[in-house]
Amino acid sequence: MQLDWLTVAAQIVNFLVLIWLLQRFLYTPITRAMAQRESRIESRMAEAREAREEARQKAEALDEERAELEADRDAQMRKAREEAEELRQRLEAEAREEVEKERAAWQEKLEVERAEALQDIRTRMSRQVLKVTRQVLGELADADLADRLARVFVERLSALDDEARTRLQQAAADMSAPATVESAVELPAPVRARITRAIHETVAEDIEVSYRENADLVLGLRLGLGDQTVEWSAARHLDRVESAMAEALEAARAEAGTP
Amino acid sequence: MEISPDTWIIAEWRGLRLNATIVFTWVVMAVLVLGSWAITARLSGGETVSRWQVMLEVVVGTIRDQIAEIGTRGPDRYLPFIGTLFLFIAAANILAVVPGYQPPTGSLSTTAALAICVLIAVPLFTIAQRGLTGYLRGFLRPSPLMLPFNIIAELSRTLALAVRLYGNVMSGTVIVGILISVAPFFFPVLMQLLGLLTGVIQAYIFAVLAMVYIASASRAGRPRGDDTTDDTDRTTETGE
Repeated sequence: MQLDWLTVAAQIVNFLVLIWLLQRFLYTPITRAMAQRESRIESRMAEAREAREEARQKAEALDEERAELEADRDAQMRKAREEAEELRQRLEAEAREEVEKERAAWQEKLEVERAEALQDIRTRMSRQVLKVTRQVLGELADADLADRLARVFVERLSALDDEARTRLQQAAADMSAPATVESAVELPAPVRARITRAIHETVAEDIEVSYRENADLVLGLRLGLGDQTVEWSAARHLDRVESAMAEALEAARAEAGTP
Repeated sequence: MEISPDTWIIAEWRGLRLNATIVFTWVVMAVLVLGSWAITARLSGGETVSRWQVMLEVVVGTIRDQIAEIGTRGPDRYLPFIGTLFLFIAAANILAVVPGYQPPTGSLSTTAALAICVLIAVPLFTIAQRGLTGYLRGFLRPSPLMLPFNIIAELSRTLALAVRLYGNVMSGTVIVGILISVAPFFFPVLMQLLGLLTGVIQAYIFAVLAMVYIASASRAGRPRGDDTTDDTDRTTETGE
């Protein structure tokens, strides 16, 4: 173990020189380079942060925009749907109303046709009945029947109430034309005489009486005196039946008309 | 067997002897300076960095971190001194793998020179930071009675630094020499490997101890509160 002071001094100098050289060639450049890179990285990081922030803001703006668009679209869709629904309901109501109207019209028409058909049938039937009746009564009518008819007629004439008799007498006084007696069949002379006598007794003594045949009466007699007539005939009854029947048919139709 | 490279005279001129210690010191210096210059001549401050630059940055960065960890603010002020201590001792020891080379740190003259540098650097840094009175007041702490002991401590730790490094490196060389004469194969190689390890560790210890001395001298005599702030400063610095 030895200490060479000259060497020690030389080594101290060497060491100081080495410090200076390394400071010159190593520490300063290296620390500068590191600081440079650190500041560069720092600035890059700051840039990246800024860029990220910007991107985030843009993304937010886009999100907002998209949400707005979606809301808008939803609203439009809803509106369109509502309109379509409204239109559908209106069209449906219109169609239903149309159908209802047509149905009502059709039913009414049907009802009318049915009523007409029914009426037609009834009318024909009653006519047929009357025709048959007339035919039967016409076939039955003969002299005996005429006699009996005359008797009934005379009875009716004499049985007239005062008012009717007065009217007849007045009519006879007003006019100069003869009284007319119509019958369905030709009346024999005695029958005619009896009728004439009855007229004379009832209406006026001096009135002329003429006789005429009228098949329309079917069965019976009619005394015409100006505008006054006294009639007793099957036709009259049949007419009454017919009018009653017509009334009944009318009532039936009215009833069918209001279901 | 030569124990110290001091005795190995390479050249002599007019009574001045150039011994191996100085020559190998120059070699180490040349390697360090030329290597640094070759790399730092093409430095890049951008993103693409050469591997060599990365290596240097790692070395310098680690030294800075270590200085900051020991607890002084502004590691860059101590970087040249502490860093050069570490790099010089480590390079001197690692180059021992080269045949024919004798580490200059195996000479007590070299280690004494380094220890003297530390001895001078401690008051210099302290005065630079706290002023002359602040430095001198540090010897009176904790009481004026301690003045002699403080002075002895200052000197003795310099001696301890010098002898520790010298002993370690020299013993490595000596052990290799002895082993070669006892078992010529394998063992010397293992011991050389071990020598590399201890060499780097010694470099680290020397540099760290120098830093600790500087730091403690700079901190001594300051109120306790200052100490705490210093500690927090250190934490923030290492945190970076």
